[in-house]
Amino acid sequence: MADRETAKFSASSSSSAEEEAGGTLSNESSSLFQCCVCLDLLYKPIVLACGHSSCFWCVHKAMHQWRESHCAICRRPYKHFPSICQLLHLLLLKLEPADYKRREMEVLEEEKNAGVYSPQFVDSDVGKLHTVNDNGTSTANIKDRRPEDFEHLENIIKRKVSVDDVMCSLCERMLYQPAVLNCGHVYCQSCLSDLSGEPLQCHVCQSLHPGDFPNVCLNLGHFLEEVFPREYAMRREEVQLKKAQRPTANPSPNSVQAQKATEKIGLRDMYFCLSEDMSDVHVGVGCDSCGVYPIIGKRYKCKDCTEAIGFDLCEACYNTSSKLPGRFNQQHTPDHKFELDDSQLLRNILMRSALQLDISEQGHQLVSVPEDDDPHDYENHDDEGNGYEEK
Amino acid sequence: MSGGIARGRLTEERKAWRKNHPHGFVARPETLPDGSVNLMTWHCTIPGKQGTDWEGGFFPLTIHFSEDYPSKPPKCKFPQGFFHPNVYPSGTVCLSILNEDNGWRPAITVKQILVGIQDLLDQPNPADPAQTDGYHLFIQDPAEYKRRVRQQAKQYPPLV
Repeated sequence: MADRETAKFSASSSSSAEEEAGGTLSNESSSLFQCCVCLDLLYKPIVLACGHSSCFWCVHKAMHQWRESHCAICRRPYKHFPSICQLLHLLLLKLEPADYKRREMEVLEEEKNAGVYSPQFVDSDVGKLHTVNDNGTSTANIKDRRPEDFEHLENIIKRKVSVDDVMCSLCERMLYQPAVLNCGHVYCQSCLSDLSGEPLQCHVCQSLHPGDFPNVCLNLGHFLEEVFPREYAMRREEVQLKKAQRPTANPSPNSVQAQKATEKIGLRDMYFCLSEDMSDVHVGVGCDSCGVYPIIGKRYKCKDCTEAIGFDLCEACYNTSSKLPGRFNQQHTPDHKFELDDSQLLRNILMRSALQLDISEQGHQLVSVPEDDDPHDYENHDDEGNGYEEK
Repeated sequence: MSGGIARGRLTEERKAWRKNHPHGFVARPETLPDGSVNLMTWHCTIPGKQGTDWEGGFFPLTIHFSEDYPSKPPKCKFPQGFFHPNVYPSGTVCLSILNEDNGWRPAITVKQILVGIQDLLDQPNPADPAQTDGYHLFIQDPAEYKRRVRQQAKQYPPLV
């Protein structure tokens, strides 16, 4: 390990010189599209409703096994593991082909070792995505772009990024204040707030967007503003003009929604542990359709998927018979059979005494006097590390 | 996928630190007797802030990262018996941003941790005491507290 380490260090020092010679775009984008969890280039980016993004595995690994999770940057709570943002994925592939390829190799290596895979995007996948598109209100623009999607990866990479890569499929213009839904599709925030109905539904894949109204994806927004300053300014004017023309009955649905959301969050956060019946929680099991993690309530497990990670649905998604592929590249098909599974229920796990040990230990700590007892009997301070408790 | 992120992240942290870090601070992964590098433990130095009673001291801090880093915060330790209201007798620092359920975010970098602890030195949090000695003097005997802080700063002179 040590050898690899030093090798990496020397490599990095030489490559930093190359980077400096490589031009401004590379530097700018590498800092804009850095994952805040691994501090490397974003790979298979996922954008949370708060607008912050991390790599697929960086998000998934940081998610809480039996409680809601929090954004790595702003700590805003969320419950659903979003799908990869394909637009950002393809954009990064074009912007940083060498680095992105390196990340791909590294991650694939880790995935092989672990036997779990992230969604793989092959040419056919991209094609499929746009086929869905054509079923809906397909646009001339998207049709124009279709042949490009079937070209070999190298050809795609060689192309420079153009406005065509960053389009909103609702207004068919360049994205302005891009916001990403749970399914990974990107729209102008103003287009989303024009959509009627709750919950939000994706125009491209028809999936519902659970959780809060999405904020602007910050790094993508900044990128567009920097790379296409003129187009972005034009779009800003357009959107503002449209806003001004609209009747002022509800001036900013966004802010109202955001306000509602924050109120909800505060309450949810505070009482989550106390009020929710935790025995319903499937520890470490997520829904492969809507991405809720962990599943609370009924869990349907696919009997025919052979992948180690399995394929599971929450009750709501089971009832709508989702036909989406799994979130970990499982080869699930609609004719697979499901069964109710409660092996991962918290209460079962408790009974299996894995957690019971933990709890009795915690109980023990409450009465014992630890080595680092403090003057004010804050028994919750666990100095020896693993379980810092909230006061 | 266990253990994938922690080492990768720490490699990047190391790179970022080498590129740029605040003046007077030291942070480097531990070198084992056989010459290999252990990325999971870092030996750091935090300089006392100028213009405070901590000035002149260069305080050694060890950061222990777990395999769950950065989902879980690292543990930061001064030497055993370090004098400060928010440092446990074992030396472990008690700080909100290092508390998993409180202020920790995976996006917090090593640099931010070290600067945060430097701030804590001169701005202890009396609401969160971790040792009797430092806490009582801070509350009850500011003059003696000041003397102890200055004395401790002299105990940790610059290494060079």
